[in-house]
Amino acid sequence: MKSSHFFRILHITILSFMFFTFKIYALENIDERVKNLTLELRCMTCQNQSIYDSDAEFSNDIKKIVKQKLQAGESERDIKKFLVERYGEYILFRPLMNYNNIFLWSFPFILLIIGVFFVLIKTKTKKA
Amino acid sequence: MSSLVGFLSLVFAIGINFYLFLSRYIFKFQKQKFNLFTRFSSLLTLLSFFSLMYAYVVSDFSNYNVFQNSHSNKPLIYKISGTWGNHEGSMLLWLSILSIFSFFFSFTKNIDESFKRLTLIIQSLLHILFGLFIIFTSNPFLVNSILVNEGLGLNPILQDPGLAVHPPILYGGYVGYSIVFSIAIAGLFQNTDDEWLYVAKKWSLISWTFLTGGIALGSYWAYYELGWGGWWFWDPVENVSLMPWIAGLALVHSLMMVRGEQAIKKWIIFLSILCFSLSVFGTFLVRSGILTSVHSFAADASRGIFILLIFFIVTGFGFLVFLLKEPKKSKTLNLLFINKVSALVINNILMIIATLTILLGTIYPIIIEVLYNKRISVGGPYFNATVIPIMIPGFLLMSIAPILSWQTNKIQNSKKYVLGFIILSVLVLIQSYFLNFNTWGFVGLLLGFWIILASIIAIFSSYNVKFNIKFFQIINPHIAHIGVGIAIVGITCSSVFQNELDFNLNEGDEFNVNGKKVIFEKIETTNEINFQSLRGNFLFDIEKKQSKKIEAGKNYYPVSKMITSEAGILHQWNRDIYFILGDQKNNEWFVKVLINPFVSFIWLGVVIMIYSGFIAVTKR
Repeated sequence: MKSSHFFRILHITILSFMFFTFKIYALENIDERVKNLTLELRCMTCQNQSIYDSDAEFSNDIKKIVKQKLQAGESERDIKKFLVERYGEYILFRPLMNYNNIFLWSFPFILLIIGVFFVLIKTKTKKA
Repeated sequence: MSSLVGFLSLVFAIGINFYLFLSRYIFKFQKQKFNLFTRFSSLLTLLSFFSLMYAYVVSDFSNYNVFQNSHSNKPLIYKISGTWGNHEGSMLLWLSILSIFSFFFSFTKNIDESFKRLTLIIQSLLHILFGLFIIFTSNPFLVNSILVNEGLGLNPILQDPGLAVHPPILYGGYVGYSIVFSIAIAGLFQNTDDEWLYVAKKWSLISWTFLTGGIALGSYWAYYELGWGGWWFWDPVENVSLMPWIAGLALVHSLMMVRGEQAIKKWIIFLSILCFSLSVFGTFLVRSGILTSVHSFAADASRGIFILLIFFIVTGFGFLVFLLKEPKKSKTLNLLFINKVSALVINNILMIIATLTILLGTIYPIIIEVLYNKRISVGGPYFNATVIPIMIPGFLLMSIAPILSWQTNKIQNSKKYVLGFIILSVLVLIQSYFLNFNTWGFVGLLLGFWIILASIIAIFSSYNVKFNIKFFQIINPHIAHIGVGIAIVGITCSSVFQNELDFNLNEGDEFNVNGKKVIFEKIETTNEINFQSLRGNFLFDIEKKQSKKIEAGKNYYPVSKMITSEAGILHQWNRDIYFILGDQKNNEWFVKVLINPFVSFIWLGVVIMIYSGFIAVTKR
């Protein structure tokens, strides 16, 4: 009994902190947003580098474009859409959540659910 | 001449392995003789490898491989490392390490002699497969048809001390799993007692320790050589090495269960086969040229197909035997709500999910390209969003898992842990309130410190603290977990709280980095043996008497006409200050300064993990 108590407390503490953290998350300035977005874009002229990390000409151009568009009030989604139309989906390090990628995105969580069920079924609830 | 010796001894070694393999069915052997032949073939393979190395050291350009990948004015260390700095040589290195493992395995004492022989025969089969692969598609001993007195040079990015030793150590891990694989298969054929599980444990710990070292060297190299201030990119090549690492970690943990009453043999055998399959698969992906990276030395389709074939043979054979010769059901698992067995099962499930997720993410672009002829990327954001959340419950659990009991549900001293966790949460919350707040930063710091704290509480409250070897063996799991905790703190800080400053500077300018005055002294160019260097010299903290000198710049390698960036890093215990010299525009130099807090913790954590890997090997 004691141990399940322990885990319940653990659980509640974590959840409440999680909640607390997400509330503060929304405040970001423009450079921060540029950074977060360009970190998820591939530098097309480099080998496996993000646009944020790279100083190639291509990357610097895209950084400028992203900043302008963010200042003009465009959403990150629009900017990504614009870039995908121009350069293809290859530029996105975070694959789109579309029909093709449904398997990619759902796979880990399907496995996780199977795993949880496995443990629940196999676990004896009786006390030793 | 050395090429001829190398080639002949390679062929001869493969021949002996054929003989050993057939000996099971045709010739009858005394056991002494069998071991001697195994060792002899290992030595021949090594002789072959060293004659290639000799050809590199003396710059024997009559060898086509040396001509293609070496140059006479390189420093000696890069002539040596050039041996494995190319596809052919690295495959010969692979085979040599396989031989070394067979060699040492043939001395194992505490195992049934016929079991040992069976294991070595499976090793022989692997030796034959990879040996034929080398001879038919990647022979490093081809003769150069034209007479030359200079070679084409080694890729400058590989000319680095860290990367010189990276491949042998990494392969020590990859190929080490071949022994674990062979033991597991032999265990399926000859399921007499459980003695082999202890032997498998030892070898899988050795492999895992090597793999850890190899991966760490690779990422440390990426950190200071690639010049973007990070050390992990979820690059396909990195993923490929991470998969056997995680699966191997699951294996090592499963083998711990053997010490309790319940042996989950079936699962252990499955993991052993999986680890080696992932290693071969990794080699296939890297060497086939399907992935573009610094590692794909040459894209040659026939090689890719051959390795793919080997991969299917090894995996297919392994899993087929596994299905046909399934071990008899061992005792059922004693899974309670929370005891050591269930903790280990959860650990294994999470690690396998992580491995499979990384596998899917790595090959998904290939699948999409084949199906829809469209190129997509699966990069860091995907793995961060899937693998890390999945691992979080595991990190929480690992803090107390080693002290959980095998039989019962009770946790000793549970109040101490609850109290510790609450105090720690408040502290981390206060800390993150005063610094800029970040969700991942908060979660990472809390997890890392919690693992460290809980392990320390466990060490002091559950054992009698003594300072002798036995004590360190007993607390070894906690030490390993403390290493993980320290690494998590380092990873969190360096990725979440990284700070970037950009400057455009003239020589002689002063500027501020985190309140410390820095002067950009001058630009220097020098000619080294095989490259020209351009360095910006910076003096850090000039107001103090002992100001630190930092050099950041680029190297130009005329032989291969390539430029590499050389970051200037000032290591302090609590942060790295990372200088990158950019291009010159309008007479001003672009200088990027990154402040990476607590990077050193990552390497410290890894060193602790490697240490406890070694300690675990010494324990029965």
